[in-house]
Amino acid sequence: MALTPFDAGAREGRELFVVALERFEGPLDLLLHLIRQQDIDIFDIPIATITDQFLKVVGGIGAEELEGAGEFVEMAAMLIGIKARMLLPHRREDEDEDPRAELVRRLLEYEQVREISSRLEVMEARRMRRWAKGYVPPRPRPEPRDTPLDTTWDEVWEAALRVDLPRPHAPPRVTTRPVSMEEKIALIRDRLRAAGRIEFSRLIGSWRGRMHGVMTLLAGLELARRRQVRLRQTRPFAELWLYRRAAPAAESGNAGEEAA
Amino acid sequence: MNPAQVVEAILFSSDAPLTAEEVARADESLDEDVVAEAIAALRREYEDGDRAFQLVEIAGGHQLLTRPEFAPYLERFDTVPRPARLSRPALETLAIVAYRQPVGRIEMEYIRGVNCAGVIRTLLDRDLIEVTGRGEGIGRPLLYGTTGHFLEHFGLQSLDELPRPAELPVVLREPGPLEVEPAAGE
Repeated sequence: MALTPFDAGAREGRELFVVALERFEGPLDLLLHLIRQQDIDIFDIPIATITDQFLKVVGGIGAEELEGAGEFVEMAAMLIGIKARMLLPHRREDEDEDPRAELVRRLLEYEQVREISSRLEVMEARRMRRWAKGYVPPRPRPEPRDTPLDTTWDEVWEAALRVDLPRPHAPPRVTTRPVSMEEKIALIRDRLRAAGRIEFSRLIGSWRGRMHGVMTLLAGLELARRRQVRLRQTRPFAELWLYRRAAPAAESGNAGEEAA
Repeated sequence: MNPAQVVEAILFSSDAPLTAEEVARADESLDEDVVAEAIAALRREYEDGDRAFQLVEIAGGHQLLTRPEFAPYLERFDTVPRPARLSRPALETLAIVAYRQPVGRIEMEYIRGVNCAGVIRTLLDRDLIEVTGRGEGIGRPLLYGTTGHFLEHFGLQSLDELPRPAELPVVLREPGPLEVEPAAGE
């Protein structure tokens, strides 16, 4: 999880609580850090102090990061719960377990896990200093034994039915353009030589088929790119006008470029 | 051809540790005692002969591995693909599985205080843990245990080589005098 480093306590000039949440594997890791760094007796945790410190660190979590930090928030709630129970007057000595007991047990257990994992890391490093012979083929993934499906067969069936079967043999189709852009360029030039300007719809008016429209548009764009035609459209979907442009030399002073 | 040579050829050809029993299956002339004897002889031979490799006991078997002091040279010589080092979440989860097996996901998550689903998937994919059974209770949760490859990865002969909880120095310090510090900022 990507959590912003939070330097609670730095404002007070105390290095003790400069804690970056992302360094920790989880809430137990963070709690242990707070306890061990301050040399607190784990069997008698000052729960109010630790809760405050924990909340200060966790308080640095932004709302958008909450999803990855739910475990920290859950622990914070648990600490507050313990703190509250500590404040209640004890009934009888033998009756109530110390509200901290389960937390302490978990912390000690987790600390042990942490210690073992660091030893495993050393063993791994030691083993990695030895090479076995040559190429080691990648291990096949072990057969899942009796692994249950999270989904039911009905759901699988239903999902399968929604999938379209692939068409058995879709032969590759190569299409040629029945209408050439060059034709259309010639057409536009022709018409503009006569009229000076023309509507796009008049250009395609006499032909049916989408390809004529597409190629006429491409031809118009191409001519505009070559600065032989100016395109003008007053608003989206309105009629597109094509204007003949004067020779580039004569046009150079014209700042009113109104090409669409 | 003597038995030690046959055993040597088999060990040389293998990319994973082999037990004496597995080696003995190669030929009728071999039995476990002969193989064990040959292995001991080969081990002495390599030591005395100043070889760059050793016959190492690993995961209940025997494997030819280079001596650690050649690591700097082999690291530069990257023809052999190396497994990636495990992350801290992976190591922590493995530690729990190694000591608590068979163990389910809920228990791992309670001990680590964080979600373990992703890391379990990684460990399964890397053949370091496997499903060993189903637990009692709601949904009969899957239980996990370590694999033989786990031992290989860490160069362990068996699970008994893991540190005993009693040897771990961390947990049971003498309770010292309690010192309540004011919370920061108060």
